[in-house]
This record gives sequence, structure tokens and C-alpha cells, in this order.
Amino acid sequence: MKAFEYVSTASADIAVKALGGVDGAILAGGTDLLSRMKDYVTTPKRVVDFNPQSVVQKETSPGGVPTWTILAGTTLADLLASKALREELPALWQAASEVGTPQIKNMATIAGNLLQRPRCWYYRSGFGLLSVKDGKNLLREGDNRYASIFHTDGDALFVAPSSLAVPLIALGASATILGPKGERTVMVSSLYQIPKRDSDRELTIGADEVLTKITLPAPQGKNATYEARQKQSHDWPLVLASVSLRFDGASVSQASIVIGGVAPIPYRAVEAEKAMFGKPVTLETAEAVAANAINGVKPLSGNVYKVALTKTVVKRALLAAVGNRYWEEV
Amino acid sequence: MADLEQKTKQGASRRDFLRGSGFAAATAVITGPAIASLDEAKAAEPEFKIVSDTTTLKLKVNGVDRTCEIEPRCTLLDTLRNRLDVTGPKRVCDRASCGACTVILDGDLVYSCTTLAISCGGKKVETVESFDSGVNSVPHAFVQNDGLMCGYCTPGFVTACKVMLDHNPNPTIDEVRKGVDGNICRCGTYVGVLQAALAAAKTMKGA
Repeated sequence: MKAFEYVSTASADIAVKALGGVDGAILAGGTDLLSRMKDYVTTPKRVVDFNPQSVVQKETSPGGVPTWTILAGTTLADLLASKALREELPALWQAASEVGTPQIKNMATIAGNLLQRPRCWYYRSGFGLLSVKDGKNLLREGDNRYASIFHTDGDALFVAPSSLAVPLIALGASATILGPKGERTVMVSSLYQIPKRDSDRELTIGADEVLTKITLPAPQGKNATYEARQKQSHDWPLVLASVSLRFDGASVSQASIVIGGVAPIPYRAVEAEKAMFGKPVTLETAEAVAANAINGVKPLSGNVYKVALTKTVVKRALLAAVGNRYWEEV
Repeated sequence: MADLEQKTKQGASRRDFLRGSGFAAATAVITGPAIASLDEAKAAEPEFKIVSDTTTLKLKVNGVDRTCEIEPRCTLLDTLRNRLDVTGPKRVCDRASCGACTVILDGDLVYSCTTLAISCGGKKVETVESFDSGVNSVPHAFVQNDGLMCGYCTPGFVTACKVMLDHNPNPTIDEVRKGVDGNICRCGTYVGVLQAALAAAKTMKGA
């Protein structure tokens, strides 16, 4: 890897200052950034080792909905160690439990997971996010088995890599970002965009900004994540879905359904959400709702299999939320 | 031999703190850490130190205080192997994918190939060299159960198994699989590795 200047701080304020005016990069757990630097995909002049506290907390406010706060430096291992989080945010806990390996869980942080760059092999080989060479889109014409099946009209065909973004968006989480102009808070879904030009990034956070914490309202109903993977461990899921459901009696009064591994951004299945409204979650309704999740799908030459996978994953996530894990009964 | 008890205690106390802090009551509590760090930052301007050249690293490796000169870009793995002659951890993928470089950093299992040495100042590193290799040990169980062929992945597997057994002395085979999730063996000695871990669990209890 190329030589760089190094700054270490636990303070977001100092991290922002250290990023100012230089080609800099924030180092969190390092599992993504250092690998990109070794492959010369990313060559920052300055690396700012931002190592804030690892804290997961639930705060009760009088009269209001309790809020969960996860500070940026929270490792996945610490996230998984919170029993209260496991009980109340199973969608997030389940997704985190499948990320990486014991080593990666000890190193990786929630902010690093959310802001990791795409795993597309053309991007990682230096062809850029759009992977266009000599007028040809390498991902569209080449090996696209893990690429997007939604939003595939443009040139960005990679899939958004963060497994934790999917449950966090379903749970309505916000991200607090500190920059030179002060602090701003955005929905986690707004951290991502589909790049249109080579110079665009898939992340909306500025190069001189730092993600400091994630907050989310304590969910009022049920939530779950289900994922389908090729390898049992140490890999990203092929497709994962997170659902957060509110109920009026036995019927769903509000549904959030978010799918990962299918688009350059975490994909919100709006039509499936509408289809879930007013119905109880049963094997039949979940199957019908999941069929709505693939409306508008446009797979590439090598990933048609993801369409069927998406339906199954959405169905199982819905059923997992209400405790029906039929696929585990043999 | 290294002070492994202390390492386990450290790891546990942080987790216990987080478990305990699951439910905080006051509204003000939550932003406490962030606000405190901002205030500290303002008080101490100019605040950050830029390291752009070689610098002196001090860390404790297998119970011994060590010092060496490193650049910011040196990984912990290369520093251990090339500058401190601690060659137990192996350099195989160098991309946090294979686990051959696994070490214990302040009680936590990590990939040393994807950890900057400069971020480890003052920390405790334990490698396979410091492990007991007597008849009740994990290394011995690997030998007895054919847990290796070429042996290149073995230090990583032994380290991962040891940490897993420190945290969970009675693992099921599925828990062993999860515990060594982050390690890959090209020779495919997984059956021997799983047997070795279960055998080590048994003999360590008997010890």
C-alpha cells in the first residue's frame, strides 16, 4: 500500500478537522479500507483513525417513544452482546450475526459496515463503480452473478454491500453526521445513492464528514431479517430482507420491507409494503406479498436466480417476524 | 507464558459493561459521550498529531515489552513477522479473508494483516507462540487429531480455537464451526480441526 499520513483520534470534531483540505479517509475497523488500499483502489494521502467508544444504549424519554443509540465505533461483537438489542431489534441482531467472522465482528464497526464500499469485483479491480471500459459495461456484459436485479437501466449494477443498512432502514433509523459546517441528521436510507457518472459516489456522506451515531425509535411491533447465502459463513448474503411490522389486532397496519443484495442501494419494496397492509401474516399472505416485491425487476444475464430468491427471502422474513420459521421444521 | 487470564477478564468486562448499560434512564445520558468528546477537543487545540514518517511503536507481545520503528502503513502482521521476528501468525491472503494471521489483540481475536500496527501502540498482542503446548492444550489436540496437513493455516486455527474455548468451554460442534468461521484451510482438514477443538475442550476440563 502507498504511504500515508496518520492521525488517530476518538473525537469526531478532531476527525473532521483532520480530514479538512486533504485527500483523506476515515479508518474504522479497517477491514474494508485497508484491503482497498492494498489493492490501490483507494489511495488516501491521510488516514484518520477514528476510534470512538463502542456503546449501545436504549434511552427512555418521558412520554415519548424510547430511542436506541448506537455510537459509530460500536463493534459488531458489542452489538451482538447486547441482550436487550437482540430481544427488541432482532432484525438488526440477526443481520449482524451473519456478517463476516469472529475476527471481523471484533474489528468491524457499525459505521464502517454502513459506509463500506461495494464488493463488485470490477470496482475492486480498479474499473470504477460503473465498471465501463471502452464503452462497454463490464458487469452487464461480463460475470454479473452477484449484481443488481433492480435499477439496472443505468451503468451502476453493483449491489449495496452493507447488511446492516437493510434492517436499519426497515426500522426507520437515522444517521448523525458531523462535518465542517456542523452536525446533520439524515435517514439511513439517505446515506446511499445510485451513481450516474464516473465521478459520483454511491455514498452521500462528504469526504470531509464523519458518521458519529445511529439512532432509531424503539419498534412498536415485530421485526426480523432473513437472508439467503451461497456460503455458510464469511461472505455477504446473496439476498437479504428485513421487515418491520406494526399491527392493529392481528392485521398489519404498517409494514417496512427492505431488500439487500438486489440493487445499488438498499431496495425498498413499496408495493409489497402496500400489499401487506390490513392482512395478518400467514403462509398464504406472505407468499402473495412477496410476489409484489419483485414488481419491476430487470435481472442481468447471470443473476435471474435472484428473482426467485428475493421472493423466498421476503416471504421468510415476514414469517420470521411473527415467529413462523417453517423452513427449520424438517 | 503469557498472562491469558487477564486477557479473558478484559474482554469479558467490556461486554459486561455493554450488557449492563442496555437500559439507560435519563434523556441527557445518551449524548453524553459525544458531547464530552467535542468539549475535550475544543479545550485542547491544536488537537491532532500527524505521523507521516517512521515512528516508534511500543507494544506487549506475548508478555514481553517490545519496541520497533514502523511506518504508518505497516500492518500488525508484517510488524510482528518482519520486525519483531514473531512468525507464528502467517501471511497468506493479506486481505482479512483466510485467518492465517489471526492474533489476540487486547483479548479480542483479530486479523493482524488488516490491523495497522500504529493503531496498536500500548496494546497486548498474543500469538500462538505463547500458548501452552502440553497434553491438555489446543496445539496438542491438533497434533493428536490430524488437524493439519501443510500447516500454514494451523496457527490461525489454533488461536481461534483457543479463544473460543476460553469463552465457551463446552462447545457444540456447531459452536466450534462458528468459532473457526474466520479461518480457511486449503488442504481441507476441517474434520480434524473440529475433532481437535472438541478433544481439547474435553481434556482441558479434565486438566
